Amino acid sequence: MTEPVATSARPSASLPADFLPILAEVSQQLAVSVDLERTLRDSVAFITDYMRAEAAAVFLLEADGSTLQCRACVGPVDILGLRIPADAGIVGRAVSQNSCQMVRDARIDPDFAAKVDANTGFITRSVLCAPLTTAQGAIGAIEIINKLDGGLFDEVDRDALRLLAAPTALALNIARMAGELLEQGRIQRELTMARRLQRSLLPKRRRGNFPLRALNMPAQEISGDFYDFFDMPDGRIAFTLGDVAGKGLDAAFLMVRCASLLRWAGKEGLPPGCWMARANDELCEAIPPGMFVCAVAGYYDPALRTAVWANAGFPPLLRIAKDGQVERMPAEGPPLGILAGMHFPEQNCDVAGAALYMFSDGVTDVRDASGKTLDLEGVEMALTEYADRSPEARLRRLVRRLRELRVTDDITVMLIEGGCAGPRQWLDHQFPARPEALSEMRRRLGEVLLACGASLEQRQALVLALDEGASNVIRHAYGGPCDSIIQLGVWQDGDELRFELHDSAPCIDPGRVRPRDLSECRPGGLGVNIIDATMDSWSMQPEVGGGNRLIMRKRLRAVGLASESNAAIE
Amino acid sequence: MKQCNTEIDGEFLVVKLAGEVDMSWSQEVRAAVLAALKKSNKVAVHLAAVTYIDSSGIAALVEGFQNARGRGQTFFLLETSSAVQAVLKLARLDKVFALRDRLVG
Repeated sequence: MTEPVATSARPSASLPADFLPILAEVSQQLAVSVDLERTLRDSVAFITDYMRAEAAAVFLLEADGSTLQCRACVGPVDILGLRIPADAGIVGRAVSQNSCQMVRDARIDPDFAAKVDANTGFITRSVLCAPLTTAQGAIGAIEIINKLDGGLFDEVDRDALRLLAAPTALALNIARMAGELLEQGRIQRELTMARRLQRSLLPKRRRGNFPLRALNMPAQEISGDFYDFFDMPDGRIAFTLGDVAGKGLDAAFLMVRCASLLRWAGKEGLPPGCWMARANDELCEAIPPGMFVCAVAGYYDPALRTAVWANAGFPPLLRIAKDGQVERMPAEGPPLGILAGMHFPEQNCDVAGAALYMFSDGVTDVRDASGKTLDLEGVEMALTEYADRSPEARLRRLVRRLRELRVTDDITVMLIEGGCAGPRQWLDHQFPARPEALSEMRRRLGEVLLACGASLEQRQALVLALDEGASNVIRHAYGGPCDSIIQLGVWQDGDELRFELHDSAPCIDPGRVRPRDLSECRPGGLGVNIIDATMDSWSMQPEVGGGNRLIMRKRLRAVGLASESNAAIE
Repeated sequence: MKQCNTEIDGEFLVVKLAGEVDMSWSQEVRAAVLAALKKSNKVAVHLAAVTYIDSSGIAALVEGFQNARGRGQTFFLLETSSAVQAVLKLARLDKVFALRDRLVG
């Protein structure tokens, strides 16, 4: 005979006077437990003893919900670890019905799992089983078997077990949630590390006159997008942007691989078409099926203010002129990682007086409240509207606009700022005519030369030449260190740089400023030779009313650049 | 950052330079090189850590070279950095100085 009892039923018989201290003891043990398996075992033993039962066990549902496993037991037969189907036996019934089960005679109960007895030789006569109930339903059950005195379980026993099951369920539930929390924390920490690693691959933001700005906002913890830029020894800036199909961990791994691959291939200074083809061939050798990468890779030449690139299935590049004129330049090559041996045509544009924008499709795919995407038109309109703001402000505005909408994908934007068309002044630096001021002058000049697109060799030589010029002003024009001012101006027109060093010292006779014969080896007097060897042309002009102006010119992209930079003083 | 120390290494006095050698302290370098040549017949100037050198720094090295040659002393430049080499080349002094990667051998 089976008597299912609803868990909500109030105790129908009065419990013995010694029950409350027992309940308090079990609750206390479970509440302070740090080792739940052990506490569970102790509690079960305690309960068995109190109920004067022969055996007891706690079964818990496994994660998949289809199996119950014995997690603690006392009695003549050890069934710890025993697994039974979640809907089998009296335990299964207690769990699936979420109610107490009392079986007075197990041998005639249809749900009794006689198999266990048959295997163990244990004879089950009478069973009492209470579900371990939580807000999410039963998570298992506690079962006690056979009264020691051979009698039958009654309503008092049932109510006692039900009350003892409550703190047990609570403790188990808390332990389970703590375990899940711990696991979530672990996954979160690993994702944070993955994100940190990804971010560390992005190049550091460069301030000041650097013509290139970029940002990346992952839709989730980690990104399938990337961008990169690096200086080429010849003064150009290499850039790459990519968007790996998908957004999960697999996309993130592929993103890391593809970004490194493009950087590695880009360092060789190959033309963009070959560069992309090499990355594509390499990627095709090992890529998970169904995955591919849309990317753009190219060079910006700050000296000529031109960009050249190859586009592999990436969204169109936008050139937006200061006057608001927009030009779209769509991809001419297929995405990377699909087929080896593909061809990637080279594309280019003039960025003087304009800005060149590259962005992943996460930018065009943001949606408004009605679900409509921003699209290329929306991005163009927004960027045109911000055209007279600084590059920083433009990117900030764009991000703010995107954040007002619903972002569904990773967002990556890169902008190359060509500045105003025509000549521009890069530097106006004033410093006292003292040797200690030269180091700062060299630093400022070096930054400007990098932004102008001067090659490494050109930067070294030009910094030296200007330093020699300024040293000569201190030594010869001013006759030694003093607090008078030297002014250094740098202008760029096309690829020609013009440097002016201006002082307020008495006028020097330009005829006296001449390079010396280098064949006689003697210390000093090399400065003018260095200027003469480095610059395309230079002149010394006394100013009316006092002061001198040393004007030097240098073209950065003159024909025969390589041979010229190796030339020694004539 | 700037540094100019003279150390004994076997038979040699080695003037070790570091940082940007420019007009602001090239006189110190000159004095150190000339002092080393007064104390030892074998002097080397170690230049691996020199990130920049201007013509006044080069002049200090030239003066040391000329002094040594006049008195038959050994004088060479040790481990010249690329920055130093570029200027030596520009001034056509790369063939004048004895440049070495090691003190001996």
